[in-house]
Amino acid sequence: MDFRTTGFRVRAGLLAAAVVLPASGAMAAQTYGYVVSSLSTATWNDYNANCPQNINGHGLDVRRRDLIAIGLTPAEADKIVKGGDEESVPKDIAGRLIMRAMVNGKPASYYSAPEAVPNPPMIETVVGPQAFGFDLGGKATDSKFTDPDTGAKVDNQLWRAVGCSENFRFIPPSLPFTEEISWAVTIDTAPAWMLSITGEDLAKDGPVTVTFERATQHLERDANGNIMTHATYMIDPKGRSHNVLKGEIKNGFLTIATTDKFYLQSEMPFFPEIELNKAQLRFQVMPDGKLFGYWGGYTDWKRYAYMLTSRPGSGADVLGLYHALKRFADAAPDPKTGQNTQISMTFRMEAVPAFHMTLDSKVMASPAADASAVSAMMRKTPEARPKGGEEPPRLKTN
Amino acid sequence: MYQSTTKSFRRALCVAAGLLPIAFSSAYAAENLGGDPSALSLRLSPAQYRQTIADIFGTNIVIDGRFEPEVREQGLLAIGARWANVSDTGMDRYDELARGIAAQVVSPKNRGTLISCKPKSETGADDACARAFISGYGRLLYRRTLSEQEVATRVKLAADATATTKDFYIGLSSVLSDMLISPNFLFRYRTVETDPTKPNEKRLDSYSKAAALSYFLWNSTPDDQLIKASEKGELQTAEGLRRQVDRMISSPAMESGIRAFFADMLHFSDFQTVAKDTTFFPRYTTKINDLAQEQTLRTIVDHVRANKDYRDLITTRSTYLTRSLAALYGVPLADTTDNGEPDRFISYTYPEGDPRAGILAQVSFIALNSHSARTSPTLRGKALRENLLCQTVPPPPGNVDFSAVENTSNQVLKTGRDRLLAHSASPACAGCHKITDPIGLALENFDAAGGFRTSENGAQIDTSGVLNSVKFKGVSDLLPLIRNDPALVSCVSRKIYAFGTGKMPPRASERGSEEWAAIEKKFGQDGYKVLNLMRQIALSDMFYAVSPVEVAAAK
Repeated sequence: MDFRTTGFRVRAGLLAAAVVLPASGAMAAQTYGYVVSSLSTATWNDYNANCPQNINGHGLDVRRRDLIAIGLTPAEADKIVKGGDEESVPKDIAGRLIMRAMVNGKPASYYSAPEAVPNPPMIETVVGPQAFGFDLGGKATDSKFTDPDTGAKVDNQLWRAVGCSENFRFIPPSLPFTEEISWAVTIDTAPAWMLSITGEDLAKDGPVTVTFERATQHLERDANGNIMTHATYMIDPKGRSHNVLKGEIKNGFLTIATTDKFYLQSEMPFFPEIELNKAQLRFQVMPDGKLFGYWGGYTDWKRYAYMLTSRPGSGADVLGLYHALKRFADAAPDPKTGQNTQISMTFRMEAVPAFHMTLDSKVMASPAADASAVSAMMRKTPEARPKGGEEPPRLKTN
Repeated sequence: MYQSTTKSFRRALCVAAGLLPIAFSSAYAAENLGGDPSALSLRLSPAQYRQTIADIFGTNIVIDGRFEPEVREQGLLAIGARWANVSDTGMDRYDELARGIAAQVVSPKNRGTLISCKPKSETGADDACARAFISGYGRLLYRRTLSEQEVATRVKLAADATATTKDFYIGLSSVLSDMLISPNFLFRYRTVETDPTKPNEKRLDSYSKAAALSYFLWNSTPDDQLIKASEKGELQTAEGLRRQVDRMISSPAMESGIRAFFADMLHFSDFQTVAKDTTFFPRYTTKINDLAQEQTLRTIVDHVRANKDYRDLITTRSTYLTRSLAALYGVPLADTTDNGEPDRFISYTYPEGDPRAGILAQVSFIALNSHSARTSPTLRGKALRENLLCQTVPPPPGNVDFSAVENTSNQVLKTGRDRLLAHSASPACAGCHKITDPIGLALENFDAAGGFRTSENGAQIDTSGVLNSVKFKGVSDLLPLIRNDPALVSCVSRKIYAFGTGKMPPRASERGSEEWAAIEKKFGQDGYKVLNLMRQIALSDMFYAVSPVEVAAAK
């Protein structure tokens, strides 16, 4: 082991179960710290209601459609698909599959020019009534979902676009396939995200401040491979991911007022960055002390699409997803083309108790002593789950 | 490696060459010399073996393999080493270790730095080069200069092996691995000679004194300076001995000796079997067992090297933590290491009044003396009594019913105290539990993994008790009582002596008891500084005294 010793000494006199910070009034405030232990596109997989046609198929179905799209007969496509892997596609055909786009009259990769693919596929999209999200002020009321938790009408057109794709057919705590792989790889190397909640008494309703930061260290795992609780994370002084959000605890939820821009610097191969406009957040604490909730807002649909489409081999119909996202984008129209540049979306987040410190050893947030310390936002029921069943139905093939 | 020689052949070769004496251990002395068998030899502990190899050949030599199990006697492996033998299986293990080390020493990667001469030909024997290699390393491995016959025998062995394999370095490797399985290396022999100043008396020879000193203070083999001092007879003079002892105590290698003693006293070898139920203790990762020992040893080394009062280790607020340990304890730790760097220790001071102060609140004591999923006030109390106060707790009777204490989800007997009271109501159990439990129950704020808690099954934990007729409210009150218990300093001084000699110091009225009493008195007068105590012991006559058994063996 490499046990190196540093000269500097932590003065732990700074510490207490909850960090006491001066508040605007006479009362001292409590600040409880967390570190984001899971983040993914929020899924609501009520399979039968969402995707009644059930036609998007799995990876080989997508491959077969692609082969036919470039001119192979169904019989030829079937023969290739029967091989079941990348190697079963002859090299010349593999080249044609990728170079399907046409730019200035020349073939180009559809990964870099998905707009330039003639006759892009149309995939099935979500028609079910429910999805997690927030009312972001979207005008098209007929396209709104009902949030399973709050019952509110919410905007989440990103889920409409992607929710019938096989790699999103997961129920939490499982993450969508491509995100699960990226997250699992990223968390052992990429700096973590921290958030703290400050209020006068977090066991009672009242105003709060939620502060997001990026850490200088990656997430620490525990003996079971989960994210360790009560670890200390140092706040990245660069501050690009510093977000201070005003909110309140009421009716068992912590929510924040709509904020113009919410930004977190991330790392590849996960989302390169998280940027939400008109962002809203909603948190609750589970009985085990874990923070759980949703972040919603408008995001650049192209960035999200490139995150998806830059992962060859994911089995997704990347072209279909690209064009679905484009179709359902619902905010920030381009002044020249009229095409919306942003799409409403929602992330699902989990966070575990953690200490936050500055590089000069000041403790900025500590874990709550126990769940009762944040009882005003305690969730009394298990996480909402769709009634459509735990297992997705077998996908129809075409 | 000299693959063509089978193990049995090598052993036969060694016996024929006189390299494997019949008296392979002290057991021979027990049978043939009568009386105390243990004074003649002490088997190197795994830690001593590793440190010795590292000091002689460098730290890049990998020692990969298992050692013969150690034996703990009177609370110390160092005492058990006197009785330690080498079984057939153990011989196989030592042989495997020896072959691995020898192969690395002569490997193309290392031979340039570890072998001072180059053979005339790599495919043929070179007696001069082999002689330099054998006499040089033999002196460090056997802790004495080899006789001409010993060197000549091994030079011939090297030449024979080279002739068979057509590889000079395999020849050297063969001889080196044989030296590494020799009892002259694996055991520290105490050799007795006639005292020239008192012709009717015997004394330890200089080499034995050097080895005793070196393994006591450094937990390793004598260095070149110490061997030279013994060759010049300097260790037989008070001034020469003092000079070497002071040099050794001020050396960085002293840390190895401090670590080895406290690891032995605190039973850290038992960590080999410690595993926590990660369902209950997910923060107890696989690296915690190592980190916990390191935390305590760093705390102790810092304390001892700063010449602080030994008793203050029980209450010290200063320690070292890594991020993993800090998370386990539930305290914040500023680690400004770049992302992705390995865990490192950072000095940490608990706030005034924090119940986690002192080495007894550290994972290395708390978790070591707990079960996988539950605490054990009894084990903790027993460990403290036996390991730190040198008191004896009788073993439990064979037919104990543990069901009451094992049911930690009992909603009637919610806390460890409730369950222990129910369990120890049996008259057969009550006596011993009165000795162990008050101390152990005071530590119930620490769960089985070392985390801090104030309640169990929803009930408040009561940590009050009575020790030596003094009432205490909890661990913060208990620790000063233990710190001021005279048994604490008496115990550590006795065990330090035993660590160096393999036996406890004499009791009152036994031979040497007056000198021991003077050493203990000086320990107190000096403010219970461990380094001063070790120096006193290393300079004392009793540390080198020869027993009647040794005198008889010499005859």
